[in-house]
Amino acid sequence: MKIKKVASLVLAASLTVSGLAACNNGDKSNGSTKDGVTTIEFWAAPNPTQQVYWKEVAEEFTKENPDIKVNVSPMKESPTSEAGIQSAIAGGSAPTMSENINRGFAAQLSESKALLPLDELEGWDEIKKNRNMEDTMKGWEFADGHQYVLPIYSNAMLFGWRLDVLKELGYNEPPKTYSEMLEVAKKLKEKHPDKYVWAKPDLADPTAWKRWFDFFMLYNAASDGNKFVEGTDFTGDKKAGEKVLGFVEELQKADALMTRQSKDPFESGLGIFTDIGPWTISYWAEKFPEMKLNETYALALPPVPDGMDTENVKTFADTKGLVVYASATKEQQKAASEFIKWVYSNPENDLKWLEKTNLPPARDDLTTNDTFKSFFENNPALQPYAAAVPNAIPPMDNSKYNDIQTFIGQHAFNPVVKGEKDPKAAWKDMQEAIEGALK
Amino acid sequence: MRKNQGWLGWLFASPYLLYAIIFFLIPLVWSLFLSVTDWNLISPTYSFVGLENYAAALKSQGVQSAFFVTFKFMAVFVPLVIAFSIIVALIVQGLPRFKGLFLIGFFLPYLASGVVSSLIVKGILSYNSPLNEFLRGTFGLDIDWLGSPFAALFVVALIIAWKFTGYYALILTSGFESISKDVYEAAMIDGVTPWQRFWKITLPLLYPALFTVLILSIGVTFGIFTEVYQLTGGGPNFATNTWQMEIFTKAFSNLQAGYASAIAIIASIVTFVAIYIIRKLLELWGKRNGWT
Repeated sequence: MKIKKVASLVLAASLTVSGLAACNNGDKSNGSTKDGVTTIEFWAAPNPTQQVYWKEVAEEFTKENPDIKVNVSPMKESPTSEAGIQSAIAGGSAPTMSENINRGFAAQLSESKALLPLDELEGWDEIKKNRNMEDTMKGWEFADGHQYVLPIYSNAMLFGWRLDVLKELGYNEPPKTYSEMLEVAKKLKEKHPDKYVWAKPDLADPTAWKRWFDFFMLYNAASDGNKFVEGTDFTGDKKAGEKVLGFVEELQKADALMTRQSKDPFESGLGIFTDIGPWTISYWAEKFPEMKLNETYALALPPVPDGMDTENVKTFADTKGLVVYASATKEQQKAASEFIKWVYSNPENDLKWLEKTNLPPARDDLTTNDTFKSFFENNPALQPYAAAVPNAIPPMDNSKYNDIQTFIGQHAFNPVVKGEKDPKAAWKDMQEAIEGALK
Repeated sequence: MRKNQGWLGWLFASPYLLYAIIFFLIPLVWSLFLSVTDWNLISPTYSFVGLENYAAALKSQGVQSAFFVTFKFMAVFVPLVIAFSIIVALIVQGLPRFKGLFLIGFFLPYLASGVVSSLIVKGILSYNSPLNEFLRGTFGLDIDWLGSPFAALFVVALIIAWKFTGYYALILTSGFESISKDVYEAAMIDGVTPWQRFWKITLPLLYPALFTVLILSIGVTFGIFTEVYQLTGGGPNFATNTWQMEIFTKAFSNLQAGYASAIAIIASIVTFVAIYIIRKLLELWGKRNGWT
């Protein structure tokens, strides 16, 4: 009898849950088009400036296209935006489209058939042509030949140097090669034993994404942009990789690296070298007005091994883009295509983006198009970023990028930074671990 | 009449039963199913892999570290939080008035966001913080709080102890309140010292409340996530890698929901067995001393 009652309760609960789930599905399938208006859900990056931008363009678009409504809402971070998106897809509540997607995450999603190949969208070629991004897009093709992400911005990551400290040491510009940089390290420690060249806790942290802003900046420069992984093959340039690790080892031996948690190490002058993205420039303008280009700090391409060309040095591109989810209905896909076409057919929208976010739009004509000319004249600190776009290498498009980049940290970069491993052994261990993961 | 009363009982219990079915039973069954697949929850296809995920998990460095780290946290966190809660409860007991107000004050950290408190601690312990500048300048002490394995584990345990002290002090205060003053008065007449009074009277009579607090605090060590995620990311070198951290990384960074579910099932078995053994040991301790 008791069992019967419990069973009936479980059944009742299951029916309730199923009923609730059914309500959710019903709402989604019927809700995309109502009274001739197609509604698309757009998830913007979880930062205020990008949300404001997308809300404004969505409103303008709907004014001109009353049959399409674009609902812009912030991407949920629970606790990361990637986790939020995965939960939404698994729970059947994915938006029609979203921004803020990096190539590695897109590779994971596309492998799971969660993304729509953009090249199958109506008018895709027109979008690329109108935005003048055909060359940029070439580097974005995925291993299966499709395009899943429309890159919105491309931050060619640069290194910042404390120019004031360099001048104290007798240098008027940042060093360009490894030996020049090691010489700076030596002089710095002689004059300021309490200062470091590179003070950054992330150097000793194996979290995957952190390798974009240290290892890959140096590796892309040393290997001239060599692909680290292609499909299921590890294709890393051993010679270049060992040089990078050897250079880091030399800095460690010179006591020029500091991996302790510290507050504003570059701004306070504790460290005199660090990776800088364009977003930092606006942050400094607000929080550290004393940081002035070519006075307090200078921007430079990554240092390269001795004997390499110091012009056109490759670097890492912190670049994210827009995707359309496979769960979108046909009407929503069409509406999304219309929206993308409308936004990117007008360079003024990219200018508005640039003005609001300081993130360089991923287009081929950023330094030549007159639309952006006055912006860069008024924001000289962002010019080096625009100029470096052609030399910026986007992240790998491998669905196992998280494992791969964790192994780079765990087996190679972090132990070398801490002086626990020699570069050759570090590269060998890392390669073995990555090849094991790629099998 | 009896029949009607039976249904009434089920009716009153149904909200909790429904809650337990939706949030415990269904996710548990779902996790068991996921753990024998290679599904990532997103892909339209998946395969059954049998016990492969379990075998891989048991061999992985992350899972092994999570197992040991939990017990290390337990060894540091439980004595800390018990000591702090007893001290707070004793202080509050000794207050002539506003006991409730002080208890609420100590309880507030329990309501504070783990993210916020972790960020504050991160700032306080940074290399160039006033605290570290002072320690270096005055005592020549240069401690890498979050970069050395034991210090990082201790810092995380300390934050969580700070968070839970007020809550446990509340339980212990009610335990203290239940001890009759007559017993203390009789002991005083017999010339019992304060030390003897604590060990021979307070502790035995406080045992039921202490038992609850001990079991609750041990349970906490199996669910540590926010502080570790914010402060150390599980490092340095897996020194603070907890079960939750490992499950999160595999499920949401590596998109291996099946594998992560296997880890979650292993974690729940370890939790259940560990708490069961500790509970039995505590009961034995109470019985041997004649406290229960």
